[in-house]
Amino acid sequence: MKYESQKIAYKYFLLATLLFALQIVFGLITGAKYVWNIDPLIHILPFNTSRAIHINLLVVWLLMGFMGGTYYLVPEEAGTEIYSPWLANLQLYLFTAIGITAIVGYVAGWSWGMPFLEQPTILKLGIVAVALIFLFNVFMTMIKTRKWTVIQGVLLGGLVMVAVMFLFGVVFMKNLTTQFYFWWWVIHLWVEGAWELVTGAIMAFILLKLTGVDRDIVEKWLYVEVGLVLFTGIAGVGHHYYWIGTPTYWLWIGAVFSAFEPLPILFMVIDTLRDVRESKTVITNRLALYWAVGCAFMHFIGAGVWGFAQTLPQINRWTHGTQITASHGHFAFYGAYVMLNLTMIYFAMPQIKGLKNFSQKLGFKAFWTMNFFMIMMVLSLTVAGVVQVYFQRVLGYDYLTVQGFMKLWFAAFWVSALGFATGASMYVVDFLTLGEASPQR
Amino acid sequence: MTKAQAKAVFIWGTAFSTIILLALTYNSISQIPERTNQNKLDAQVAAGKWIWQKHNCNDCHTILGIGGYYAPDLTKVMSRRDPDWMRSFLKDPSAIWPASRKMPNLHLTDAEITDLIAFLKWVDHINTNNWPPKPMIVHVAGQESPGETLFKAHGCSSCHSIGGIGGHIGPDLTHVGSRRSKQWIEEQLEDPRSHNPNSIMPSFKDLSHKDIEDLVNYLAELK
Repeated sequence: MKYESQKIAYKYFLLATLLFALQIVFGLITGAKYVWNIDPLIHILPFNTSRAIHINLLVVWLLMGFMGGTYYLVPEEAGTEIYSPWLANLQLYLFTAIGITAIVGYVAGWSWGMPFLEQPTILKLGIVAVALIFLFNVFMTMIKTRKWTVIQGVLLGGLVMVAVMFLFGVVFMKNLTTQFYFWWWVIHLWVEGAWELVTGAIMAFILLKLTGVDRDIVEKWLYVEVGLVLFTGIAGVGHHYYWIGTPTYWLWIGAVFSAFEPLPILFMVIDTLRDVRESKTVITNRLALYWAVGCAFMHFIGAGVWGFAQTLPQINRWTHGTQITASHGHFAFYGAYVMLNLTMIYFAMPQIKGLKNFSQKLGFKAFWTMNFFMIMMVLSLTVAGVVQVYFQRVLGYDYLTVQGFMKLWFAAFWVSALGFATGASMYVVDFLTLGEASPQR
Repeated sequence: MTKAQAKAVFIWGTAFSTIILLALTYNSISQIPERTNQNKLDAQVAAGKWIWQKHNCNDCHTILGIGGYYAPDLTKVMSRRDPDWMRSFLKDPSAIWPASRKMPNLHLTDAEITDLIAFLKWVDHINTNNWPPKPMIVHVAGQESPGETLFKAHGCSSCHSIGGIGGHIGPDLTHVGSRRSKQWIEEQLEDPRSHNPNSIMPSFKDLSHKDIEDLVNYLAELK
């Protein structure tokens, strides 16, 4: 760490970590409703409310992690302090306040009712304000020195795209098909577009610092990767336009473009492994390295393989709207974005805290526990989804009857989720106590 | 590959895909009105859509296959249910559908229910490229009797079980044909309270005569 204002990232990481823990609590509550027949919370926290909170917390903490990561990265790339630490703090408090209001509002029945975008319009405008403050602050920092590195450019491009796409989810449209058409511009063009740019830039920065490889090589690959991400991902939104009332030509446009979506993610795996192999330094922060390499792999399997498995219309016709989608959702968000944030946090935290060396024992336990149980969660949901597709879609059994057949797999999912929660708790404790234990591993 | 070539991949790849998306969006927007019967999208349908959003229905139910996976997909619900059934269901979901997984009572007013049903009726007519798919087994094997198909489609098994499959709120129907006559079953379907004044079973009197007959035949053969 070279600049004092990089420390702003710490507050973002802290809040992200706490919201991550809260997200898991709501995930366990939501999942329990599948396993047990009797729902004691049905009048206070019915399934739709707890799901809304679970997925909103996910998005908010991941965005907070990205923002923290940006505030850590930009000073080093631009070679200057953050333009306004005061604005960075204001933006964090505003975002937190909006997040808390939204959650309390959901419990009180205040909702806009589109999945992931349940925030009432006034809160959405607040989120836009937060984004504008953030972009202004980042841009003003970058322009101070005008050192336009590729990493900075891709990061800024990704962040601007995040903000612009969000606007397509603010307006109420009378036609449900049109509403979903543009709803996907937020959801899909975030996770398979803008967020990938942010991820690519942050990962390139970490690999550069961690392994000391040549900047030119890292940046060249970054261009190729994000170029292919956008080439396949932008028109790849078509894989969401198969069955929602949109024209038939989307069936092949969506199939062709999204079939290639795993390719850039595969390149990221190859790129990461090559950087590590050709590393010019001794990597002492093994934990950050493990999260980085783990992220590359899980990103590829969760987003790439699990996504590809259901992206062709011939298959999607049967799996669309089942637990198969939920299994991919959990795997992709975890592999690509949760792991990226944890990589960034483990890379930056020792430096923010000024630790030359730190005990990585608990951190490694958290790493293996979380990864193992996430894989178990995903496999359980996948089997549940296969049961659902076969009985409900292929044989035509009634929806609720089939949910009964799936119970064993819901139970397996929930028990695995409990294991994941244990791993995540280890991470939270490790985050809060980092550097306090003696550094022998 | 040089860095300049990599940059070109980025710029041209992004531009190409963006142009395709924008062009097809322009075309899609012009086709959506016809594919969704937008001329039938009146103020009531729009009001119903807002009721749907306000109560966050979409985080339990999927519609057009998108949303929460906790409750049935509602894209084609109005092809399966008649409006009167929907009306009484929405008034008090757990009384009409006493399954173990419950829908909370949203305490909708009569006017709100009318709007919501108008919205779901409109959604039912969206051209979804034949999604959800028709179950394969009906076409492939053809072994299922029409009554059995109706039994599944109307969710009878959420309350009744046959051969160990189904719910336990209503009586087990595995051997119902050996206990009850065809006439008794028909009466039960049309007016459950004629046999037991306290029955919580919903009436299926709105089914067509043919459907009732198929169901009765199927059930009477379970011996």
